[in-house]
Amino acid sequence: MSETVIETRNLSKTFVRDSFEIHALEDVNLQLHRGEFVALMGPSGSGKSTLLHLIAAMDRPSSGQIVTLGQDLATLDDHDIARWRNQHIGFVFQTFNLIPVLTALENVELPLKLTRLKKAERLAHARTALELVGLGDRMHHTPRQLSGGQEQRVAIARAVVTDPDLILADEPTGNLDAVSAREVLTLLSRLNQEFGKTVVMVTHDPHAAHAAQKIRYLDKARLLPEGDVPEDWTMAATQKR
Amino acid sequence: MFKYLSLILKNSVRSKRRSALTVLSIAASLCLLGVLGAFYHVFFLDPPTEEQALRLWVRNRISLANPLPLAYQQRIAGAPGVRDVMVFQWFGGTYKDREAKNFFARFAVEPERLFSIYPEYRVAEDQKLAFQRERTACMVGRKLADRLGFKLGDRIVLEGDIFPVRLELTVRAVYDSPRDNENLLFHFEYLKESMPGYRGEMVSNFVIAARSAEEVPHIAEAVDAMFRNSAQQTKTETEKAFELSFLAFIGNVKVFLLSVCSAITFTILLVSGNTMAMSVRERVREVGILKTLGFTRGAILGVILAEAVVIALLGGIIGMFIAAGILDLMSRAPSIATDMSRLTLPPLIWGLCLAVSIFVGAVSAFVPAWNASRRSIVEALRFTD
Ligand SMILES: Nc1ncnc2c1ncn2[C@@H]1O[C@H](COP(=O)(O)OP(=O)(O)OP(=O)(O)O)[C@@H](O)[C@H]1O
Ligand SMILES: [Mg+2]
Repeated sequence: MSETVIETRNLSKTFVRDSFEIHALEDVNLQLHRGEFVALMGPSGSGKSTLLHLIAAMDRPSSGQIVTLGQDLATLDDHDIARWRNQHIGFVFQTFNLIPVLTALENVELPLKLTRLKKAERLAHARTALELVGLGDRMHHTPRQLSGGQEQRVAIARAVVTDPDLILADEPTGNLDAVSAREVLTLLSRLNQEFGKTVVMVTHDPHAAHAAQKIRYLDKARLLPEGDVPEDWTMAATQKR
Repeated sequence: MFKYLSLILKNSVRSKRRSALTVLSIAASLCLLGVLGAFYHVFFLDPPTEEQALRLWVRNRISLANPLPLAYQQRIAGAPGVRDVMVFQWFGGTYKDREAKNFFARFAVEPERLFSIYPEYRVAEDQKLAFQRERTACMVGRKLADRLGFKLGDRIVLEGDIFPVRLELTVRAVYDSPRDNENLLFHFEYLKESMPGYRGEMVSNFVIAARSAEEVPHIAEAVDAMFRNSAQQTKTETEKAFELSFLAFIGNVKVFLLSVCSAITFTILLVSGNTMAMSVRERVREVGILKTLGFTRGAILGVILAEAVVIALLGGIIGMFIAAGILDLMSRAPSIATDMSRLTLPPLIWGLCLAVSIFVGAVSAFVPAWNASRRSIVEALRFTD
């Protein structure tokens, strides 16, 4: 088996809201390998986003351990974690989350500003990334002037521009029409297959999940064993659609 | 920080209307601050000119309204360090009518001494001689001559009030001076002759020219000591201090100016603090995005603060240009109370006001920026207005 890129041990996350506790994740043991494309599915509120956030060190676990790309995240302080995330993680949101005042090119360049690259190099990288997602002709458009599908592709370009090892996508097709969704999925598959990126994608859409090589399910804060599906899952999924 | 400039600049103009309003309110306040600062500077910070630094004014210790015996002039002249002493007598009176436009300051002086004590009064040599030679001649400032259309040879009749006399003067000279450009000066001798008896033997002020600036403080002490046991005690001070004593009539100008300035600064802090808080609040999600991309707390704090500073500084610069314009107009206007021709926006006040804008920008944004930068990514991304 190839190199392990994500490994969690008894990973738990509890949120405290107004004196009562929400167990978002309980004892999750997950192991993912380099070059995998995994879809994370499960009912709403099962902890999918929370797991993704913990993998990207966007939040700290309440207990348990998480090693991402060989790095025990508990040993890094906030400053180093920010750096680490900039170098190793590309994150794609359901709502694109581009900076509205910046053009596509500037949005994609943004994570590179935290590197030592010179302006010209940064722009060259950003252009390459935009061309990769097929938006070479939309570089100077602002998010407002783009369609949802185009915005999401800009967001993907922004996620890959630093050449991260791991791409995490939280319902990347959730806000898109079918055609745009297919484009985004194709793009993620290409990144996985041609560029060897490890991709973890949260999705509610069974069709989307087909783009992945493997589907893992979360249910009520717990990760189900490989191959298991939550009870009533098909119904829940169809309800959601 | 330079790398983020485009982000900072574009963010600053994101909400055009709000940014414009913030910029304008800061501009208005800073304009006011700049004008007050310029006044403060002229009154309290502007160093005296070289000529001015050599002059002292003597007046009655009790008040300006109490005169001094003319005989003091001889004794003052004998004090160590004194180069010359001249009578400087305020003559109120009216010219034509009591309209403000016909108001100007009139002084009785000693023309043969005037030009060595006031070398800044520049007059054509023939006019100077004509003025000195003729007992009823007078000399007017260029600005005043332009304002009221006085020409050489014109007759000016002044109706006295504190002095019950009618003076018939002839314009023999027009002077140029970097300041006091709006006075009328005539022979004290003429006034004295028209006022036989007691009043002619009393004068409101003497102006002393010191031999050197170092001797000025000693002269003040020596002169006042000279008359300490006389019926009329004197108060001798530098010309600068003497001018400021007029301001003291309207209260403690220094404290007044400073407290108004602080109040303005405090008000802009509140106003801009409010807008900054609003604009940061709108963008909490964005803070989450930037953090996801790898921005550290410090970088985010810096970006938000820089944005606020850009807006405040822009307002400051606009305000200062408006202030400079207003001061320029004021300095050209006819001076009624004090000489305003020196009113400008000196670099010190420019610098201070810009520093105030930077301070306002940074301080007003600090608390919201700090809170936003401290929010966890997950919280920030979930944030909705
Ligand atoms: N920051 C937070 N504070 C409090 N509770 C939270 C927070 N984030 C998540 N939760 C709670 O934790 C649980 C898991 O949330 P999570 O967002 O991970 O679910 P999800 O599987 O991504 O759901 P969805 O499919 O609706 O996105 C939910 O009950 C949610 O309300
Ligand atoms: Mg979610």
